[in-house]
Amino acid sequence: MRTISKKLNKEEIEAFGKEVDSLREEVMAKVGKEDADHIRFIYKTYRYTEVLGRGLIHFSFEPISFVAGTLLLSISKIINNMELGHNVLHGQYDWMNDPKFNSRTFEWDIVCNAHQWKFYHNYMHHTYTNVLNKDHDYGYNFTRLTEGQKWKPVHLTQPFTNLFLALNFQWGIGAHGYRVEYLETPKKLRKKKTLKDYKAVFFKKIELQMLKDYILFPALAGLNFPKVILGNLLANLIRNLWTYAVIFCGHFTENAESFTTEEIAGETKAQWYLRQLKGSSNLEGNNLFYTMTGHLSHQIEHHMFPDMPAKRYREVAPRLKEICAKYGQHYNTGSFVKQFGSVWKRIIAYSFPDHIANKVMGKRKKYLEPSIVLSQPSFQVSLPTEEKTISLT
Amino acid sequence: MKTFPFIYNQPKEFLNFLQPKEWADFLLGELNPRFSVTTTKAKVIDIKEETADAKTFVLKPNWLWKGFLSGQHVPVTVEIAGRRVTRFYSLSSHPNEKYLQITVKRQKGGLVSNFLNQNTKKGDILDLGEASGEFVLSKELPKELLLLAGGSGITPIHSILKDLQALNYNGKVTLLYFVRSVDDIILKSSIDLLEKNNQWLTVQYILSDVPKEGYVSGFLTKEILDQYVPNLKSTSVYVCGPSPMQTKALSLLEGLPVKSELFLLPGQNLTNVKKEGTVDVYLSLSHKTIQVKGERSILDELEEQGIYPQSGCRMGICHTCVCKKQAGSVTDLSNGEKSQLGEENIQICVSRAESNLELEL
Ligand code: FES
Repeated sequence: MRTISKKLNKEEIEAFGKEVDSLREEVMAKVGKEDADHIRFIYKTYRYTEVLGRGLIHFSFEPISFVAGTLLLSISKIINNMELGHNVLHGQYDWMNDPKFNSRTFEWDIVCNAHQWKFYHNYMHHTYTNVLNKDHDYGYNFTRLTEGQKWKPVHLTQPFTNLFLALNFQWGIGAHGYRVEYLETPKKLRKKKTLKDYKAVFFKKIELQMLKDYILFPALAGLNFPKVILGNLLANLIRNLWTYAVIFCGHFTENAESFTTEEIAGETKAQWYLRQLKGSSNLEGNNLFYTMTGHLSHQIEHHMFPDMPAKRYREVAPRLKEICAKYGQHYNTGSFVKQFGSVWKRIIAYSFPDHIANKVMGKRKKYLEPSIVLSQPSFQVSLPTEEKTISLT
Repeated sequence: MKTFPFIYNQPKEFLNFLQPKEWADFLLGELNPRFSVTTTKAKVIDIKEETADAKTFVLKPNWLWKGFLSGQHVPVTVEIAGRRVTRFYSLSSHPNEKYLQITVKRQKGGLVSNFLNQNTKKGDILDLGEASGEFVLSKELPKELLLLAGGSGITPIHSILKDLQALNYNGKVTLLYFVRSVDDIILKSSIDLLEKNNQWLTVQYILSDVPKEGYVSGFLTKEILDQYVPNLKSTSVYVCGPSPMQTKALSLLEGLPVKSELFLLPGQNLTNVKKEGTVDVYLSLSHKTIQVKGERSILDELEEQGIYPQSGCRMGICHTCVCKKQAGSVTDLSNGEKSQLGEENIQICVSRAESNLELEL
């Protein structure tokens, strides 16, 4: 894959890593009351929007209040998933020592079980960002996004399957989770904890969510239940579309790079930082937009510092950008429309065989040069001894 | 699908999933910060200066407060720079009084005691836990009692004295209260009043650092004990104070029924361990491997590296920090015992890493 960043030598990479590290330390030292107040404010907003939203859906007799209620409920679900859930589950607020905001105790309003999510997101995705065959989020199993993935005729359908995914994103995330957990279990242990067990966790969560949104709350409305079902359905749909859009912009824009398992063998912390930078892309907007994306608008910062309270990414971003400029590294950012457009360009391009894809995408180098092998890595991404075969189709 | 239909098999869990308590807490909290259905919260309704470095806080708890016995302590949680921190304080008031009262002396380097003294104002809300502790009067009151207090160790004893008064005690009580100087005497007016009103009580203040005319000076010694409690043999003893005083008392009073309570700052119960090299702690839920030295508690060492497991008292009382150890061995800091290598639950605030560990965190 093409890289538009300057190729750095070993010393330069380490120097880059040092600067990133000291930036992290400086900002983390400031974490305190301000961040606690922020997440509490977010929590309040999430609760209030849910009460108001559900209340309006319930007691609406005309379309306007129904629409308002549905929108409020969507906002509530978005906040719950993004700025609250995603960030709390990353352990960004564990230091508060408050069970409400602790990654061990938090559960969110989505069909995906928080514990399973932490495994494949916090661990698999954040460690192996954009590494083919290791990062299961890369294309979510059916989207071909680089020459590194072999073209098959079925990929011709990927614009449609992606549309389908967008509408049902929470289901994609949930179903994806238990599968990853299974695939990542060493083959020998797979019998003990079978796919079925992992699936059961997922199904339990589905049941709880479905009961809540489509049986309990509608039942409370008595004969008015179809209206409540519709409101919940729409709210979940809006949340799905929004999260899909934001998350796809995070790693699949045109210039976001991908990597191979060979490239990351023996990676140092500095090289890991660099990979996070090259594999992620940001969105530009205002503060409200940042909050509604759960600060995944700052995907680069998030990937470098996943456990930093997310609002801090706003102050980190300009300084990280400077460091990147100093080292000639491309800092992938743009407006939502531009980035989302480029995601779809890529999805469509790679649905075709390479010769067409390359024409659409412009001339692209196959991969980054294999990264430098260092003698004594201080930080290692361990690879499984026996390569697993995970098919991507 | 063995869980399906889950709701049918575990309706309770479904109810929990709907977070009725969180909702109730949230909405009640919006009405009044003291209201809750899960946490005992108390409003500070009065603050009294005891000495230059100790204050008494009068607290009005919410309906979840279950009461206490004289001599017991309660976990108090405050938020400092966004972070919730818990410490235990003895209740210095009497259970029959309308409001609760804790008396807090600033400890050198003590995070919470300093915060309470400096920053807590009337109207603030403190989170309390349940009162607990064995430092209480036995059902059958002894004929003679010796109470040894050191510094802020007077607080549970103050409550016990009030309790004796309420019980119309008619034996004989001697209180020896060791403090650095006259100005350090906590709850003095109340103690003096108790002495005045109760024939059975003799109070002796003993100044250990700064002598003053009209006051006895000295430390806890055999001579002092003999002087004030001539017939020690038939006496029950309660000791509460700093650890050097406790050790001394325990050795002087060997063979007598002694109840003691020791208040330590978190981390004080650590033996001084120096280690070469590090051990690996693998956190199995977050898939991280962390190197620690194994010199202090696992909790401390993890926090130093930016990992914050849930914790409470940090001294092995509340069990908030319990986590499953899947492999490796730890040393229990409270008694110095080394654990087995296998799977077991440990309190990471009072456990030190001995070998490579695998924790479910
Ligand atoms: S924090 Fe209370 S027992 Fe460990």
